[in-house]
Amino acid sequence: MRLGAKNLNYGYLPGQTVLHDVSLNIDPGETLYVLGRNGSGKTTLLACLAGLIQPDAGEVMIDGKNIRTFSATERARRIGLIPQIHTPTFAYTVAEMIMMGRAPHLGWLGAPSQEDHAIVDEAMAQVGLFELRDRPYTEISGGEQQLVLIARGLAQKCRILLMDEPTAHLDLSNQHRVLEIVNQLSDQGLSFIVSSHSPNNALAYADRVLLLTGGWVSAYGSPLETLTESLLSSVYGIRTEVIYNGEGEAKKPVAVITQRPISLLPESLKYPHSLLSDVFEKSFETPQLILVTGLSGVGKTTWCTRLVDLARNEGLTVNGVLSPSVFKGQRKTGIALMDLSTGERRQLANLRKDDLAKVRTPRWSFEPQVMDWANQVLKDTGENDLLIIDELGPLEFFQNKGLVEGLKRLDTGRYKVACVVVRSSLLPNALQRWPNAIVVNGSTRSESKTQP
Amino acid sequence: MTPSALSTDPTQSFKRTITGVTLVALPVVLFMLALMLGRYPIGPVDVGKALLSPLFPDLAADIPDVARQLVLRIRLPRALAALLIGASFGGTGTAFQAIFKNPLVDSNILGVTSGAGFGAALALLLLRDTWQVQLFAFAFGLLAVFLAFFGSRLYKSTPLLILTLMGILIGSLFGSLTAMLKYLADPLDTLPAITFWLLGSLTAITWQKLSALAIITIVGLVFLWLVRWRLNILSLGDDEAKALGVNPARMKLWIIICSTLITSAAVSVSGVIGWVGLVIPHAGRILVGPDHKRLMPASIALGAAFMILIDNIARTLLPGEVPLGVLTGLIGVPILILLLRRNRTGW
Repeated sequence: MRLGAKNLNYGYLPGQTVLHDVSLNIDPGETLYVLGRNGSGKTTLLACLAGLIQPDAGEVMIDGKNIRTFSATERARRIGLIPQIHTPTFAYTVAEMIMMGRAPHLGWLGAPSQEDHAIVDEAMAQVGLFELRDRPYTEISGGEQQLVLIARGLAQKCRILLMDEPTAHLDLSNQHRVLEIVNQLSDQGLSFIVSSHSPNNALAYADRVLLLTGGWVSAYGSPLETLTESLLSSVYGIRTEVIYNGEGEAKKPVAVITQRPISLLPESLKYPHSLLSDVFEKSFETPQLILVTGLSGVGKTTWCTRLVDLARNEGLTVNGVLSPSVFKGQRKTGIALMDLSTGERRQLANLRKDDLAKVRTPRWSFEPQVMDWANQVLKDTGENDLLIIDELGPLEFFQNKGLVEGLKRLDTGRYKVACVVVRSSLLPNALQRWPNAIVVNGSTRSESKTQP
Repeated sequence: MTPSALSTDPTQSFKRTITGVTLVALPVVLFMLALMLGRYPIGPVDVGKALLSPLFPDLAADIPDVARQLVLRIRLPRALAALLIGASFGGTGTAFQAIFKNPLVDSNILGVTSGAGFGAALALLLLRDTWQVQLFAFAFGLLAVFLAFFGSRLYKSTPLLILTLMGILIGSLFGSLTAMLKYLADPLDTLPAITFWLLGSLTAITWQKLSALAIITIVGLVFLWLVRWRLNILSLGDDEAKALGVNPARMKLWIIICSTLITSAAVSVSGVIGWVGLVIPHAGRILVGPDHKRLMPASIALGAAFMILIDNIARTLLPGEVPLGVLTGLIGVPILILLLRRNRTGW
C-alpha cells in the first residue's frame, strides 16, 4: 500500500496557513521522518494524512485513490495513527487498550469476538507485551505505554502507521527499544511516518526525511541529502554539526550535534591559524559571515569595536556601522550610529520621552534621516576586508525596515568577512537566513572560557 | 505455547463467572424480597403462587385474596419500576462518564433532572393530575437537555467543557424557576406536594405509568448495551476515536438522546433521585474494571439492585414512607466508602 500527499495546504482559521504545499510519498516498508521545530506543522500534517482533518487544498491518496472517497472505517483499516502517550481517564488494561484497535473491523454495534482476542494476543506478543496484558495501562512505564499504542496500531491491521513523536518523554534505552521494534516492523513491510524532534533518530532509522519550517517543506529526500549542517542549522535556527563516518562512497552521517556559540576573543586575530585569522584567510574564496550574539549588555558592540581596531592594525580595510549605546549616568538613553569608514557619528534613536518610567516596546523612536544615512553607508562600498553591521533586530527581520541595505548585502554575498550583531532571541531567525554563519559569543568578559 | 493458549487464565475467568452470577442474582433476590416484605409480610411460596395466578388461577386458591392483590397490584409494579429506574441510572451514568471522559458526571450533567423537577412542579401547581405531572416532568427534562446541547452549538466547535458548562447553567436556570414556583405555591397544599415529589418516591406507581416507563427504558438500555464496547473508544477523546474509524460526534449525539429519554422517563415517574447514576459506575468499576463491555451490564445490574434495596427500605423502615432521595445518599455513601477502602482502583 502506497500513501501519497500532493500540495497539502491547511489552516485552522480562515486566512491562516499551517501547511504550505506539502507533498510526500511513502512506499511499503519505508520509514519517513518528519522533522521541524515546535509549531512547524508536524502534528497537523499527520492529522491531515490520517484524515482527521480535511486539507484546504491538495489531496491525500492511498494507492492513487483520494482518502475522501473512503469511509471512516475503511480509512482506519488502512492508516493508523499512534498518538503521543497520554493518560486516559479510565484505567483500561493493556489488552483492553489494544483491543480498541479492532474498532474499524467491527460493525458500529459490534463487540470483539474470539478472533479479535486472538489478533490482540498476537499484536501483544509481537511487541513483547504479553506479560503485561492485565496490567492497567495507566500504571506501566512510558516506553511500555508507547509499545501498547504501537500494538494497537498492529491490531488495527493497517499497512501505514503514523506516529506522533514516539520518543517524546522516553529515556535513551526506551527510545531505542521502541524504535528498534518500529524498525523490525517496517522490515515486515509496514510503512511508518514518524514525527520527531530527534535528527539522530532520523539518521539511524529513516529511509526518507521531510524537513518542515513554518509549514513549508525545507527539504525532502534521503537522510544524506537532508540532514546536512546547513539545512539543519536553518530548520532549527541553531548551529549544528554533522559527524560522518567513512570516506567517499561509504561516507555516512552518524550523528548530529548542536553547537554552542564559540567563545572567541578578537585578539586571536593576531595569531596565525587561529579560528579568526582562518576566517579572513578563507574569505578570499567565499564570503564569511560571523554572527555576534548574546544577551543585551554583554558587550557585543565592544567586541566588534575591538575587532575593528585590531583589523586596522593588521592593515585590513573596514566599513559598515557600529551602534554604541548612549548613557546618561547608569541609564541607556539613546543609540548612536558610527560610520566606520569616515568615523562620522550621529544620534540614531532616543528613548521615548513618555516612556522614561515604564517599559514598552518599541521603546525607541528612530530618526528616519539617520536611518537613511546608515543605509547609504552600507550601500556604497568599495572592496573592503571587513564589513560590520551593528545591529540587525526585529525591524530588519520581521518588518523589512531599518538597515535593509545591510540585509541585502548579506543576502547577495557582496562582502568578504561580515561581522553582524544579533541579539540571542533573534539568532534562530538569522541562522534560518544564513545557516552557514559562524556564531560567536559576543561577551568580552568570559576570558577564561576562551578557545584559541 | 501459543499466545492464545496463554490468554485464558482459568482463575481469572472463574472469578469473572462468580462476579457475573452475583451481579445477576443480586437484583433478582432483592426483587423477590420486595414482593415479600411490607406491613403485610407474605411468604415466598405464596408470592410465587400469586405471581403465577394470572396464568394458573387454580394455584391461588389457597392464598388469601389480599395477598394476591397486594403482590400483583401494588408490590409488583413498584418493584419493577425500581428495577427499571435503577438500571437506567446505572446505565446512563456509565455512558455519560465515558463520553464526557469524566468520572464525576452522570446523566444529570445536562440538566435533565432540574428540567423534570420544574416540569413536575409546574404541573402540580397548575394541573394536579398525576399523568400530567409525569408528562410535564418528562417533557421539561428533554427540553433542558435540548437547550444545553444546542446552546453549546452556538460555539463553532463543541468542546466537552462548553457542553458541561451549558448543562450546569441550564440546570441552575431550571433550579431557580422551580424555587420560584415553590415560593408561589400554596404552603398548605401544593408546596408539600412539590417538595415531596422533588424528594423522590415510587408510592404512586401504577401499571399504566409503568408501561410507558418500561417501553422507553428497555429500548434505551438495549441501545446503550449494544454500543457499550464503543464507549471505551469514545472515552479516549475525539481525535483518537476518529483515527480508529469511529464518528465521535454522531455516536455521542445518539447516546445523549437515548440517555436523556430514559433518564427523563425515570425521573418523571420517581421524582428526583440524585446520586445513583454518579456512584453506581464507580462501584461497577471496582467489581469488574473499567472496560465498558463488562462495566455496562454490571452498572445496570448494580443500579437495579441498589434502587430496589433503597425502595424496600423506604417502604419498611418507618410506618410512613421515607423519600428515596434521602435514602440513596444515607445508604449509598457508606457502601461506597467501604468498597473504596477495600479496593484500589486507578480511574
